[in-house]
Amino acid sequence: MATQVQRTAKSIPELSAEREVRWPKRTKTKLANGLDIILLESHTIPKFHGELYLRSGNAAAAARGTALAEMAATMVRTGTAKHTSREIEEQLRGLGADLSVSAGQDNSAISFAGLSDHAEPLLQLVNELAREAAFPAGEFERERRQRLEEVKLERTQPGFLAGERLRKVLFGSHPYAQVSPSEEQVAAYTREELQSVYRDFYTPENAILILVGDFDPATMQKAAERVFGDWSGRKPATPESTKPPVLKGRRVYLVDLPASVQTQILCGCHAITRKHPDWIKLGLTNSLYGGAFNSRLVMNIREDKGYTYSPRSGVNPLRQYGYFSVSAAVRNDVVAASLTEIFYEIDKLRSLPVPEAELLDAQNYLTGVFSMGLATQSGLLSQISTLALNELPDDYLETYREKVRALKPEDVLTAARTYFDSANMQIVVVGDRKQIESQAELFGEVGIYDARGNRQN
Amino acid sequence: MKPLQIPIEHKTLGNGLRVVVAPDSTAPVVTVGVYYKIGFRLEPQGRSGFAHLFEHMMFQGSENAPKMQHIKLVNSSGGVLNGSTMYDVTNYFEAVPSNALERVLWLEADRMRALKVDDENLRNQRDVVKEEVRVNVMNQPYGGFPWLDMPPVAFRNWANAHNFYGDFADLDAASLADVQTFFRTYYIPNNAVLLILGDVNLAEGFALADKHFGDIPAGPPPKFADPSEPKQTQERRGDVIEKFGTLPAMAIGYVMPPRRTPEWCAMGLLDQALHGGRAGRLYRELVLEKQIAVEADGGIDDVFVYDGPTQMTTRIFHKPEISSEDTLAAFDEIVREVQGKGITPSELDQLKVKWRSDYFATLEGGRGGHMPKYGLMHLLAGFTLFDGEPQLVNTILDGFLAVTKEQVLAAAQDYLLPQNRAIVFRKPVEKSAQEAA
Repeated sequence: MATQVQRTAKSIPELSAEREVRWPKRTKTKLANGLDIILLESHTIPKFHGELYLRSGNAAAAARGTALAEMAATMVRTGTAKHTSREIEEQLRGLGADLSVSAGQDNSAISFAGLSDHAEPLLQLVNELAREAAFPAGEFERERRQRLEEVKLERTQPGFLAGERLRKVLFGSHPYAQVSPSEEQVAAYTREELQSVYRDFYTPENAILILVGDFDPATMQKAAERVFGDWSGRKPATPESTKPPVLKGRRVYLVDLPASVQTQILCGCHAITRKHPDWIKLGLTNSLYGGAFNSRLVMNIREDKGYTYSPRSGVNPLRQYGYFSVSAAVRNDVVAASLTEIFYEIDKLRSLPVPEAELLDAQNYLTGVFSMGLATQSGLLSQISTLALNELPDDYLETYREKVRALKPEDVLTAARTYFDSANMQIVVVGDRKQIESQAELFGEVGIYDARGNRQN
Repeated sequence: MKPLQIPIEHKTLGNGLRVVVAPDSTAPVVTVGVYYKIGFRLEPQGRSGFAHLFEHMMFQGSENAPKMQHIKLVNSSGGVLNGSTMYDVTNYFEAVPSNALERVLWLEADRMRALKVDDENLRNQRDVVKEEVRVNVMNQPYGGFPWLDMPPVAFRNWANAHNFYGDFADLDAASLADVQTFFRTYYIPNNAVLLILGDVNLAEGFALADKHFGDIPAGPPPKFADPSEPKQTQERRGDVIEKFGTLPAMAIGYVMPPRRTPEWCAMGLLDQALHGGRAGRLYRELVLEKQIAVEADGGIDDVFVYDGPTQMTTRIFHKPEISSEDTLAAFDEIVREVQGKGITPSELDQLKVKWRSDYFATLEGGRGGHMPKYGLMHLLAGFTLFDGEPQLVNTILDGFLAVTKEQVLAAAQDYLLPQNRAIVFRKPVEKSAQEAA
């Protein structure tokens, strides 16, 4: 081998001048029937991505039953007045399209992607699903059986059980506490109640159509108007719901999964929604705490102590309320040690101003990752969806970066003190009671539950 | 339909490092990847799981970037990073605002040049990896099904048949000396490809690649173990206990023809015919029509990027009241149908439209929501390391769009054979035993 000339750069290269981040222009219109349409060009691949959102989900149907919007969504693609399930699926394949229908707490959605050269037929099919789903009886029985098996499976997944318990604790008798139906509830679903949810929710006044991709906006606008223009229907009434409980003091909720080889930890407290003026401040604070690989929590319990593979924290913004949560799947013998570190890092952020250099790093991280949405059609669609569903200001994308960069250490301190509610944090642990109960007791009074949610003590 | 014309340039540095640059100024974001031609298939015997454990060690410190620096520098430049270990390659990748390109190249070059890790780092990451295995496999319903269950049933050569996540005893036995030997053997420029995609111009990309990687010494070309399998003469079967879920499941894997043959293209479309979502024959027959199964899906593992025996695999979760034998018989009936009658011309047309659409989605496909062009990077890496032809990204689609229905029929008759398949039955533990536990 030839002698190597030693010209290795030992020092880290500086960042070069930043290229301007320019968000594509959006076209926003409202049709006479109330349908909002947002179009955005992105020519990265000869395809387009779309969402037809309905601004009602499981929460709006909670008085009628648990997760009804989700079950209704499952039925939408299984047959219409014009086409059978099989015809719909083959039509999608022939258009090169992917499609899914889903519902969460606040919204239902028909999500789709297809080739640009088959755009209008795909819009027509989406329109047919939104207006003429027939809920065939045979398909209903089949989907219900599948749902029953899913519901059983969920109860064996530590991550699901932890999330469900935390939501029940934080939201009490508010609809957001209902995460998933029981087997009995699924067995009691009727076609008629699902159809009535569908009729109420799937209306143009309740809908937003967002299309992102390789198309000419004027042509696409005309196509959307042709396809959806004669759809009619009013916005459903928003049901009143009870307020979530105010929780005082730390409590522990242990979901017993005998013989578990690991323990799922999930801690949480009430926080804010995306519309709240402190949202960006809290986002930055979360990023410093446990929202990035480089965050304090990950460096502590993963890179320093090796307790866990994937610790993280996040702010979960539902439409009416938001909550902050911290999760980690840890070795059984370090449950108490992990919780100690989780609270140590929370309390440290609440006590001491974050050093300027660390703050700058986190600001760069958030602003950099934010603009990655620009690079793909699906990334753009997700950013625009967030804006539209949360009714954020039109210039949100353009001003986000400067808002993040304007934040100071005292903003982080205030946000941590206000929203990382250490003293009243609710702690869920899912694992083998025999191995973890004594560790859990160190953090508060322990309520024990089985996987079905029944209290055991 | 316009032919694909993704701009791609390819050069080899003096030390053998291949460099691929694919400029696209749509967004001020650049994606950088380094792929090493070593995966878990060819890790050392007695060291199962080592290729993956080693991947973790690559984040633990290099010559001029000590532990935590790597992650910190990428995140604080506004970017994201990760790595993953696959059958035949291991990758390390970042997506960053384009003003951080040089910094990221410096970091990747620094850890290709020299790894600087100690026993404490190794202990730490061994613990992290064990929790990764627990969270993904041991404490999850159907964990590792079928990707960890299938190899020991389907294959006889240790390379293809061992536990890729690693037996804990093997992970415990791994030493710092193993780490350095593995690094010296496989993590050399002449066994790697560097990819730069997105907001970069060609001249700048190649100049920066040369500046930071050009002086890393080449090593002796690694000697790779032979991954070939002895000839299979009959169907293979195995059972695995399912501790959590209540649905019986099975996975049926057929060994694929070699890459870049007409048979490979035909199998791609046959896969689409069988597994293409709810329109696919398996979902349609087993879930929608006969209602034997609750879920039926499948596909070809990493169809463009493999370098040894690989399978097209079907997964079926069926109703407990229907026996495994009856479920398998229903599956076999679908296979016999396609072997007897093939597919219709209109079905073939639909499959091709969907294949084209899926291919575009793959190229743009992100990862974790924040890794633009991951798919394009992955295909470019495979076509460079295994074929020496990154330009295949622009032409590989043509072979699939040229497949005839006769070729699909022939593929079904030649490859969907008992002596070419293995079946894993994932059996839920008896209910009474479960409750007594």
